[in-house]
Amino acid sequence: MANAFTDKGNSPQTIKAEINSGDVSRDKYLHTYVIVEHEDGKPLPVSLEMLGEARRLVDNFNDKYSSKEKVVALVLGSGVRNLCEELPFYGADAVIYAESQELKNSINLIDTKVIADIAKDKGPIREISPDDSNDFIRPRYMFFAADNIGRQLSSTVMAELESGLASDINKLIIEDLEIKHEHKTKGKPIVYEKTLEMYRPDFSGFLWTTILCLDNKNPAIQRDYHPQACSIIPGVFSPLSRDTSRKGIIINYVPKISEEDVAKVKVLDRTAITSSIDFDKHKCVVSFGRGIKDSPEDNTRLVLKLAEVLDAEVGVTLPISKRPFNVGESIGSKYFVPDRVIGTSGRKVNPLLYIAIGISGAVQHLAGMKESEFVISINTDEYSQIRDESDIFVKGSLEEILPVLIEEIREQRAKMIMRVKE
Amino acid sequence: MASLRVAVIVKMEPDFSEGNVSYNSDGTLNRAETKNILGPHSAIACRAAFYTKVIYGAEIYVATMGPPIADSALQQAQLISNADNLYLFSDRIFAGADTLATAEVLKTGINMIQEQGKKVDIVFSGHRASDGETGQTGPQTAWKLGYTFLGNVISYYVDIENRKIRAKRLISLQGFYDIIEEVEALLPVFITVDPLYKANYDTITQRLAFMKHRKEASKKAQDYKQYLNVLNAQQLGVDPKLVGLPGSPTIVYKVEKIPKAKPTRRATMVDGSDRGQIVELATKINQVLSGAVVE
Amino acid sequence: MENYDVAIIGGGSAGLAALQHLSSLGKQAVLIEAAKTVGSKNISGGILYSKKPKNGKVFNVEDVYGEQFFHDAPVERLITKYILHTTSRDKLYSIDLTSAHKYQANFGYSVLLNSLNSWFAQIANESAEKQGGGIVPGVHVSNILFDEGKTVIETDELKEFGVKAIIAADGVNSEVADLTGARQKFSPEELYQGVKVVVKLPEDIINERFEISSEEGAAHLFAGDVTLGHIGGGFVYTNRGTVSVGAVYHYDSLMSHPTEPHELVDALLDNHLVREFIKDEVPIKEELGHGLSKEEQLKIRFGASKLLKTWDDLRTEFYSVRGRRNLIETGKYKSEQEIKARLDTIYHDLNTKYGIKFSTDYVELEYSAKLVPDGKRCRMKRPFLKNILFIGDAAGRGIFIGPRIEGLNVGIDDAVRAANAVSRSIERNNFSSDYMGEFYTKSVEESPYTRDMREIDKDYLKIFLDAAKGVPKDIIGSRYGTIIRLMSSGTLRGLAVGFANMLGYDRLLPLVESEETYVQVPTELAERLGRLVSATYTPKIMSISQRIANLQYDDDSVSHIRIIDSKSDFMKKMVVLCPTKCYSSENDEVTLQHEGCIECGTCARETQWKHPRGEKGIAYRYG
Repeated sequence: MANAFTDKGNSPQTIKAEINSGDVSRDKYLHTYVIVEHEDGKPLPVSLEMLGEARRLVDNFNDKYSSKEKVVALVLGSGVRNLCEELPFYGADAVIYAESQELKNSINLIDTKVIADIAKDKGPIREISPDDSNDFIRPRYMFFAADNIGRQLSSTVMAELESGLASDINKLIIEDLEIKHEHKTKGKPIVYEKTLEMYRPDFSGFLWTTILCLDNKNPAIQRDYHPQACSIIPGVFSPLSRDTSRKGIIINYVPKISEEDVAKVKVLDRTAITSSIDFDKHKCVVSFGRGIKDSPEDNTRLVLKLAEVLDAEVGVTLPISKRPFNVGESIGSKYFVPDRVIGTSGRKVNPLLYIAIGISGAVQHLAGMKESEFVISINTDEYSQIRDESDIFVKGSLEEILPVLIEEIREQRAKMIMRVKE
Repeated sequence: MASLRVAVIVKMEPDFSEGNVSYNSDGTLNRAETKNILGPHSAIACRAAFYTKVIYGAEIYVATMGPPIADSALQQAQLISNADNLYLFSDRIFAGADTLATAEVLKTGINMIQEQGKKVDIVFSGHRASDGETGQTGPQTAWKLGYTFLGNVISYYVDIENRKIRAKRLISLQGFYDIIEEVEALLPVFITVDPLYKANYDTITQRLAFMKHRKEASKKAQDYKQYLNVLNAQQLGVDPKLVGLPGSPTIVYKVEKIPKAKPTRRATMVDGSDRGQIVELATKINQVLSGAVVE
Repeated sequence: MENYDVAIIGGGSAGLAALQHLSSLGKQAVLIEAAKTVGSKNISGGILYSKKPKNGKVFNVEDVYGEQFFHDAPVERLITKYILHTTSRDKLYSIDLTSAHKYQANFGYSVLLNSLNSWFAQIANESAEKQGGGIVPGVHVSNILFDEGKTVIETDELKEFGVKAIIAADGVNSEVADLTGARQKFSPEELYQGVKVVVKLPEDIINERFEISSEEGAAHLFAGDVTLGHIGGGFVYTNRGTVSVGAVYHYDSLMSHPTEPHELVDALLDNHLVREFIKDEVPIKEELGHGLSKEEQLKIRFGASKLLKTWDDLRTEFYSVRGRRNLIETGKYKSEQEIKARLDTIYHDLNTKYGIKFSTDYVELEYSAKLVPDGKRCRMKRPFLKNILFIGDAAGRGIFIGPRIEGLNVGIDDAVRAANAVSRSIERNNFSSDYMGEFYTKSVEESPYTRDMREIDKDYLKIFLDAAKGVPKDIIGSRYGTIIRLMSSGTLRGLAVGFANMLGYDRLLPLVESEETYVQVPTELAERLGRLVSATYTPKIMSISQRIANLQYDDDSVSHIRIIDSKSDFMKKMVVLCPTKCYSSENDEVTLQHEGCIECGTCARETQWKHPRGEKGIAYRYG
C-alpha cells in the first residue's frame, strides 16, 4: 500500500509550467537518508522498519524515474562499526557513520550538527554516486523515527537545514503532483515531481492528513525546501528480513564537534528502567481479573500457561494489582503488581491479540486495551461490559475452558509444524 | 530581584473533552463551536516554570502566537505559572504557519524580550500539542534561538550561582526500554516538559511558598490584561517571507477519512462448554497470531 | 530540619477553625491536609449550627470567621422549616419540629463541605500566612515521633519537620490517635454510619416544591419503615441548587443485621414523598447511533453531550433568580423570554437531531458515606496525649440526641478551645500535659456541648413531648407509657430527668435508642394516622456501581488498607456494610477487592487502616 504509484500528475494532458523544479532538482537533491537509532550496538526496531520502507520506496522510484538513487543509513555513535555492517542486510545501499566518544549518548545539540553536516556534505556522495557528487546539495528525502529522540532530532536538524518536516507518519507515497497554491505557486498550477506524500493520522484518530514539503516557486518568495523530511511512527512499516546477500558501502565520516558544544551539555547518568514486563514486544497480551477468584492460585497458573503457549505478556486489572486474594508469594509478587495493570491507571496496549480472562470490563480497563487488533474475552457473565469490546466472547468458566484451549492450541501448532516439515 | 529569567511558550488548543468538543459532519473539528483552552501540555510547561518562581523567585514571561482570543490561554497560563509578563504575538500574516514558520515568530518574540536587556535563562514549552501540532515547534524554536535543547524533562533543578541546570529526562527507546538520563547543561537552555513531569516541593517552607505564589497568580490572572503585551508582525520586526504561509515549507495537501478505522466490535458468541467451539477458537487464535487476515 | 510552632493535622471544618483562631491570636501554625485541595475529602450530613446555650458559652463559626461569614461564606440555605415524617409504605404522618431546630440556636445553614471548607481555608490561610504559617494540602502524615523533647512529624511527601504542639483534627478515623495510641479505635456501638446522595434540582423548583423562598430552607426527617428496621433515620435537606438525601444509622444496629448502606438511602429515595421532592425532567441516556461505526457513534455522542451540557447549564441558570439576572446583565440574553426560547430550541434539537427523550426522574450527582461518632458514648474524656490535642470527630465528639445530630459546630467549638490552650502554651513555652492538655480538657469539659453529651436536657425533651401531644398514648407503647406520664408534668419531668441523669446516660441509652423508638412506633403512627402520598413516577435509582463510577479518584498504587483476619465475623460483615462494596467473600475468606474506597473507615476497626497518600484517593465535588 505504501508503494502505490499513480500517474495522475504525469499524464500527458498536464501542461508543465515554465518554472519546473524537475530538471533542476534531479541532481541537487539525491537519495533517501535514514537516521538510524540504536542502543548498545543494536538498532531500534523502528530503524529497520524505516530502512525497509525506504528500500521499497526507492526501488519503485528508480523504476519509475529510471534513476539510481540510494538508501543511505546514517549512524552516529561510539563503537558502531559492527552495527553498520548489518544495515545493508536490511536494505541500506550505503551507511555513513560518525564515530566519537561525544556521540555515545544522543545529545541533541551535537547530533543535530553532525547530521546536518553530513546532509550537506558532498564527500560521502563521491563514494555513493560519484557522478552526482558535484551537484549534490542536500538529500532528497530524510526519515527519522517518531520517538522521543527522533522527533526532537528531526525538528532541530530540519531547523538547521531550513526545510519542512512532517511528524508521526504512517504512510508514504512518491508522486508527481500538480499543485496550485496561493503562496507556493502564486496560484498557478505547477507540477512538483517526485513529491513525498506524507500521511499522518489526525489527532482525532478519524482523519488522515497528507503533508507535502514543497519548494516555493512563487518568484516573490522563491526558495527551495529540501530535503523533504518526516518522522515515522514505530511499528507501522515492516522491516525487510535480514538478507546477507545484500551489499552496501560503508563510509566513515569524521565529525566536527566543537569543544564549546561539548561543554554545554554533559550526560551525568543514564539508567535503563528495565522491567521484565514489556507489552510492546509481544504480539499477544493475556490479561486476567477478578474472575480467577474461585481458586486464585490455580487459575492464575492456568492463565500463565496460556500466556506461555502464546508467547504473550501477562496483564492484570487494577484490582488484581492490589493483591485481593491470597496467592503464593512467587505468583503474587510477579503478577499481582501495578506494573502489569492495563487501563487508565496503568498501561495502554495495542497487541495483535488481546485475551481478557475473567475481566468484567470496567471502563478504566477498557481504555487500556480497546485499541487492540483482535479481542477475545472469556467470562461467565455474558452481559459483562467486556463483551462490547470483544471480537469473540466466550461464555463459560475459565477453569473449564483454558485447559481445553491450551491443549488445542498446542496440538494445532504441532500439526502445522509437521506440515511445514513435510 | 530575580536572578533567573524564564519564558514559557504556550498554545491555545480546542478543548477535546466530552461535552465541550464539537465536530463537523465531515469529521473535522468544528472550531467555532469548540471552546478553546490552554493546551494540556502547555499547562504542564507552566507548572514546570512555576517551580522556578516558587524555588528561585524567577521572573516569568509567557508567550504565545495566535489570534487575539488566544489571550485567554495566556490568562490560564498566568494562573498556573504566576507569570509577570504575557506576550501575544498576533498578526493575520502568521496564520497558516507550519512549525518552522511558527518557530520563527517565537524566536523573534523571545529575542525581542531579551533585547530589552533581559536575558532569558530557560525557555519551557509543552512536549506537544493535542490538536495536530507535532512536538516540533519547541525544538525548532530552541535551535533558532541557539539554546541548548533538553527534551522530555521530568524534573530539574537550577544551580543559579554556576549558571547550570541539572535535569532528568525520560527517553523511551521503543522496542527496548525506557531510560532516565540525567544531564547537566549550561544556561541558557530550552526545555520541553514531559507529561510525567513532577515538581518536587519537599519541605513545608516550599509548600507554603507554593501556596503563596498560587494565590498571587490567581490575583494577577484576574487582571491579566495589565500584564499583557500584544505584538504584531511589524512590532516584532519579523521578515514576512519567513512567517505564516509564505514561510512554511510544508502544506496540508489533503484531509481524508482513515479507511481502516475500526467499526464497533460485535462479539461473536462462543459457548465455553462446547468443545468443538473451543477447537475453532484455538484455530482462530493461531490464525490471528500468524498474521492471517482477520475479518 | 525545619521547625514550626504548631501543626494542625487535618483540614476539615475543625482543623481550619483551629488554624484561623490560632492565627488570629498571632501564633504560627501550619495545617497539613491529605487531600489535593482542602475540602475535597470532607463530607457532612449537612447542617451547620450556631448556638446560644442558656448556660455557658460555645464558640460559633461566626466568632471564628467574623462578619464576613454572613456575607461571603458559601453556605447553602438558612433552614427555616424542620419537619419529621413517620412512614409506613406510602403513608406518612408529619410532625413539625421547627421549634426543636430553633432550640438555643442562632441559625442553622444547610452546607456542602467542599465549597464551604474551601472558603474557610481561604480565610484561614490568609490569616496564617501573616504569622508565617499556612495550609499545606496534599500531604499525608505517616508518623509522629517524640524525640528528646522534640516532636517530629513524618509524612509520605515531605522531609520531616519539628513542632512544639499538635492539634489533631484528622476526623473520626484519626490516624494521629492510632499512631500515638491516644485512644482505641471506635467500636460499632459508638458510631453511626451516614450515607448521602446529592441530588440536582434547580433553585426555583426547590423553592416551589418545598414551599420556601430563596432565602429559606427546609429540612425533612424520616423515621419508620424507611429505616428498613434499623435504628436511625433519613433526611432531606435543601441546598441552593441541590438537595441532600441521606440516612444515618447506628452502626451496632447495622452489625446485628447487616444491610447494604446504599439500600438505606435507596429506601429513602423510593419513599413517595421523597420521590415527589426530587423529581425533575431528565434526559434518557440511551445508546446513541447504535449499529454505526465507532467514530460515528463517538461523534454523535460528543455532539449530544455538548448540547445536553449547554441545555443543563442554561436551565440551571434560568431556574434561579441570580442566574437569570446574570444572563441578562452580562448581555448574553435580552430577556427571560429569550432564555426560555433558547432552552426550548435546544430541547427540540436534542429531541429531533439526536433522538434524546425526556422523562420524569431524578438526577444524582454524588454518593458519599461517613462514620459519625456518638459523643455520648465515645468522646475522649481527656482529649489529649502529651502535646497533642484532639478536636472534633478525632476526639469522638459529636452530639447525637434523637434528630439532633451536630458535629461541625462541636468541632469548631473544640478548635477554639484547643487553639486557646496552645496559644497560652506558646506564650509560656510550656507544652507539658499538665499545662496544656489539662487546660484544654478543662475547657472542653466546660463546653455546653459536652454537657449535652453527658446529660439529658429536659427542655429539649419537652419540645418533643409537646409535639407528640396529638399522638395516641397506646401507640407509644407500654415501654414509654410511664416515662411519658412522668414527663408530661413539669415538676415530675424535672425529677425524672434528674433521676435519669443520676442513673447515667449510658444506661438509659439502650432504652431510648431502640428499634421501638426508631422503627415500630413511627411506623405504627404513620399506619394509623398517616395521610396517603403517592408519587407520580418510579425513580430509576442509580446502581451502586454507577455511583462508584461517578466518583473521582486518584488511585493510590499502594493499598492503604490491609485485612488482618480475613475470616473474622467483623470482616464478613464488611462485605455487606462497606458502602462502596470493597470487600467480597471467597471460600469463607474476605478479600479486599477494588479501588472504589471512599475512606469512610467502616472497616477500620479490624483492618490496618490508613488514609491514602497525599493527593490520592477520593475527591468529592460536593461533600
